[in-house]
Amino acid sequence: MIQVSELHFSTEDGVKVLEDIHLHVEQGELMLILGSAASGKSLLLGLLGAQIFPQRGQILVHGRNIARLGPDKMLTLRRRIGVYPQGFVPLPRTVHENVAFKLRALGNYREQAEEKVLYALETTGLIRQQGVDALELSSIDRIRLGIALALCHDPLLLLIDEPFEGLAEEEKAEIARLLCRMNTGHFSILVATRGPVPPGLEMFRRIRLVDGMVRGA
Amino acid sequence: MQLFVFRELLGAIRAKSATFFTFSGFLLFLFLASVSSFFMIAPGSVSTSVEGQPIEEIRVFLSPRLSSATVDQWFLEWRERDDIVRLRFQFAQEFDASASGGVFIVSPADTVMGSALSSEFRSIDGVTEVIEVPREPTIEAPYISLTIRISLLVILVLSIAASLFCSRRGYRELLTAFSGEIRMLRLSGISERVVFTLVVALGVLIGLLGGLFLLAVLYLLHQIALAKPDAFSLFGGLTSGIRVLGMGLMGVMLGTLFGGLAGLLGASLLHRREFDPLP
Repeated sequence: MIQVSELHFSTEDGVKVLEDIHLHVEQGELMLILGSAASGKSLLLGLLGAQIFPQRGQILVHGRNIARLGPDKMLTLRRRIGVYPQGFVPLPRTVHENVAFKLRALGNYREQAEEKVLYALETTGLIRQQGVDALELSSIDRIRLGIALALCHDPLLLLIDEPFEGLAEEEKAEIARLLCRMNTGHFSILVATRGPVPPGLEMFRRIRLVDGMVRGA
Repeated sequence: MQLFVFRELLGAIRAKSATFFTFSGFLLFLFLASVSSFFMIAPGSVSTSVEGQPIEEIRVFLSPRLSSATVDQWFLEWRERDDIVRLRFQFAQEFDASASGGVFIVSPADTVMGSALSSEFRSIDGVTEVIEVPREPTIEAPYISLTIRISLLVILVLSIAASLFCSRRGYRELLTAFSGEIRMLRLSGISERVVFTLVVALGVLIGLLGGLFLLAVLYLLHQIALAKPDAFSLFGGLTSGIRVLGMGLMGVMLGTLFGGLAGLLGASLLHRREFDPLP
């Protein structure tokens, strides 16, 4: 469960990027964050993913207040969160090696990592391309790989930033179907996107960020 | 986990970064070799044997039966001689409590020709004993010209500066090649310390290799110096096993230290924007 209250964030110049954000996401819920460019979506995901330290307000992720976590506990929490960053660029390795690298770096043994790699690639539909150089993948497969990387280590929370960027309508629908399939209730999923809601995701709850403030759906 | 990431980091070394690291290691070796050469220079030839040494002074023991007038006369005569620089008279008891009579302490003008003077004194009637006191064996400083000294110092400074420069360039290449992995590690919650430590460890490894290479080279030169002592007349210290071992170990320690320093320089690059996990 995620609980955000009175969250504020300003740049070093004092420009307010997020203002008085209140948010509640249930465990296993898929929620969309809509907003135009520079509306603060990526920053909000960065704060929820414990990648950026909050300046003011509270962010509770699975009962832990990020604002009060020490560096070590922050890292521990970060390991339980899967992040798909905007404009994801894979490593210059095969699809399989990309996912295996992350899992091995997180301390998984080879066999354990292998199992998780296959699961993640199967979930995202990349199992047949596991031997392909990741840099040669199509746009949609790159996004799939990014999502596979985000979910491969059994996260409690999945943060996906602009997964429909640069995709054709059909491909957007395909990614939307993938997100629906992943929404099994094991983890919460937050998807930030600037465009209209792709077909297949209309039924999910959404919030709209306008100039750093939540303006409802 | 750290071992895996370290292996991956080493795997990211490409031709360009490998070239810089090789140069860095070689220059570090050059630095260590310059340092050790200072400690390997042999002292000047030291003779511990008294025989053949130049004579510092001659003690001429006089018979107690000699009249004081004779002693005075000899004193005045000998003092005028060109081959005697200084002449003193002392009582024999000052050297030996049981002795009697007097002693002339003669400082010969030519220390090498002192033995001729001694023979002359021995032949004089009334002289009971002549003792030659050789000059104390002195350790002469090795002769190294100022140019060589300055050259060694310049090599010392330039090699370490160039080594650090090369290693930083090597790190820049390596970390650029590994930037995607670093971003992924940070995004996944891997501690900053892990990447930092591994980057420093790479520098330590390069320094250690440079030091071990020096140890191997010193051992080889030591063996050659033992077989042919004249081969390294200036670097006579190479014949001493303890000195070679001590210098070699010091080289390993210095190499590790400077390698670690190069690693820290490399790790300072990790603060660059390109390694931020989020755009």
